[in-house]
Amino acid sequence: MKRILVNVDRCSGCRRCEMICSFSHENAFGSSISRIIVTKEDIFGLDLPIVCWHCDPCSAMENCSSKALERREEGLIFVNEKKCVGCGKCLKTCIMGAIRLHPRNNIPLICDQCDGKPQCVEKCPTKALAYMETEMQQPKLPTQIFEETLRRWRIIA
Amino acid sequence: MPKYYGYAGRTLRINLTENQINIRPTEKRLMTEFLGGRGFNSKRLYDETLKDVDPLSPQNKLMFATGPLVGTAFPLGARFNVSAKSPLTGILGDSNAGGHFAAEMKFAGYDQIIIEGKSRKPAYIAIDDQEVQIMNAEHLVGKDVYETTEMIKKDLRDRTVQVAAVGPAAENCVAYAGIFVNLARPAARTGMGTVMASKNLKAVALKGTGRIEIANPSKFWKIVEEIEEETYVHPQYWPRRIMGTTRILMLADKLGFLPTRHFTSATFEHAAKVSGERLAREYNVKSRACFSCIVPCSRFYVIREGEYAGLYGEGPEYEALSSFTARVGNSNLNLALRAVDLANRLGLDAITTAECIAWAMELYEKGELTKKETGGLELGWGDSKAILALIEKIAYRKGFGDLLADGVKRAAKKLGKGKEIALHVKGLEIIQADPRGLKGYGLGYAVASRGADHLRSEPFIELNDDPEKGVEMFGVPEATIRLAHKGKGKLVRYFENWCAIVDSLEVCKNLAENMELLPFKRAAEITEAATGLPFTEKSLFEIGERIVNLERAYLVREGVRRRDDNLPKRFLKEPLPNGNSKGMIFEIEPMLDEYYTEREWDLKTGIPKVKKLRKIGLGYVIADLKKMGLKFD
Repeated sequence: MKRILVNVDRCSGCRRCEMICSFSHENAFGSSISRIIVTKEDIFGLDLPIVCWHCDPCSAMENCSSKALERREEGLIFVNEKKCVGCGKCLKTCIMGAIRLHPRNNIPLICDQCDGKPQCVEKCPTKALAYMETEMQQPKLPTQIFEETLRRWRIIA
Repeated sequence: MPKYYGYAGRTLRINLTENQINIRPTEKRLMTEFLGGRGFNSKRLYDETLKDVDPLSPQNKLMFATGPLVGTAFPLGARFNVSAKSPLTGILGDSNAGGHFAAEMKFAGYDQIIIEGKSRKPAYIAIDDQEVQIMNAEHLVGKDVYETTEMIKKDLRDRTVQVAAVGPAAENCVAYAGIFVNLARPAARTGMGTVMASKNLKAVALKGTGRIEIANPSKFWKIVEEIEEETYVHPQYWPRRIMGTTRILMLADKLGFLPTRHFTSATFEHAAKVSGERLAREYNVKSRACFSCIVPCSRFYVIREGEYAGLYGEGPEYEALSSFTARVGNSNLNLALRAVDLANRLGLDAITTAECIAWAMELYEKGELTKKETGGLELGWGDSKAILALIEKIAYRKGFGDLLADGVKRAAKKLGKGKEIALHVKGLEIIQADPRGLKGYGLGYAVASRGADHLRSEPFIELNDDPEKGVEMFGVPEATIRLAHKGKGKLVRYFENWCAIVDSLEVCKNLAENMELLPFKRAAEITEAATGLPFTEKSLFEIGERIVNLERAYLVREGVRRRDDNLPKRFLKEPLPNGNSKGMIFEIEPMLDEYYTEREWDLKTGIPKVKKLRKIGLGYVIADLKKMGLKFD
């Protein structure tokens, strides 16, 4: 299936993707209402957008007590708002840390790939995001990406 | 709460003496008259820090403010101003920084944060939406900017919190300590960090879950898309993305205004060795950007070999790079990176620090300062040991550093020599561009409301040396020729008003102004689309006028007159010895005459005329100044 991929060296950490995402979904700007989250470590100059990989299997889905996370035919995970109780367990069990809860109702915010045309990818100023077919069912974890990057930059041996 | 568009809608006031927190709606009138950011701060400073307020007393107020386009997808930066009466200059102090602090301040819900009084114990402020807490900071005392930021993130168990912190320099009351966000992005000038530390305040940390809404989204996005299209094909796009402002160093050298060895030369023979080009080729690993900005002009570097190998960090920008290379006569790039890094960690203004060091070096080279007076330091041009040692000694007010810690003006006074070569205007040290080779900039230094500074006017257009542009904009061909002095009054007035708007919208001057992506007309259109308040090209120009004139009134109240709108003698009497501006001196008097005439300020005193103040809605200023016993008309 198609997924949103990140080139960590290209990401400037501007968080414009968060603004594009929040506006396309909520008609307002706000980091806390974005489905993509840019993790930043200023001390190492690291910037990494994190967005749902729609893993198969998905640990957040497996651990959801109310079975509110469901998968569509094409593989995308979504929240069944009728079932969701807003407990926030998914936030803790997602291996990527890609989930946050909507500040108004505690419903998890999960990337819906904008119906096949992810706006964050379209609008990324440095083309650090790509929307591509990939067979990888599990993502590379942020900690691993950070480590590899620092090694490449020769900040760590 | 009334409904706001663009603006966050709240003003937060924190009194550290009384432990009081007060949240109010931001006044609509303030928005339409002063726009935001710098405008908000200057207005409140004028109202609340009167002549008798000592900059380091609890009566001084420290204000953070941001603008109506910040925290949105506006593509040209997201900044904030921090203002107070300056302990360095004694007049209006303010400084501006980018990064991610300003947007978070909006998401937390605030257009402006005013901090008054003084905490009994070391404190930091933690803001989480409308929850505002004054926290204990005893464990942060003496910690540098990096340590402080990291420790607060750990304290609050949140790595996304935005922190504005001061370093040891501020705690030791160095007059020119800055406030640092995202570690290496300082609001550095005029000693705002010093004011913060004088309130026993080590940092402001904030985060928010708020949302910014737009009054007219379709119009807003249409303008954003126009700006995006223009930006990506702009000739400055790639140079800025690759080198940021460090690209200026080679340009300044080529045109002959690169201040070298304390402005005794306008070209640096080692320029290429310390250039932005070299950084890009050998040091930089990636580009970084301020919040929501489409031109990632900041760079992250790693020193891979040689001295200080293993050092890494964000930056530097042109001013800091050029200050610790050409200005002090240093050709060792690794050393310069270390010097900037050290100044950042200790929390110093790089420009002022380097001026103090370069001033001492010139005296030392001339034999007017002895090793005995410097406490054993050898201050030859570019001496690597001396540069690093002095940065530390200044930050901790140790030995000879103590003398330099009050700025170059007071250092010269205390030492009893070097007054003529103390390069400042109104107590603020001059930046890294020689005014003899850039006449419009020079006039800007002379009249800027915070002292010698290019960011109040930044008339970059004179660099094009295009007489037709001068005729088109000002009816004077020389206005846009950098070595001519005619027409500069008109030029500087126009650009001062523009800068006031850009500073009040809190967007980036490099893009909005230098790349000409946000002229008055477009600024009005997008601000109106974002806020739903009526703004026009004309009304924005008038807001610019209002801000500049109100700041001038603040200065007048503090005793500033025409005699203070001056440049140091070096620039007026000593012709530039070399380079492509060779032989030039700075013709201050005719330029001031023209500028005052344009501004409708009194030619003799430099006080705004009554009819001018009345025209731009500053009637209360007339009453205030008359109450002081000032006679003017």
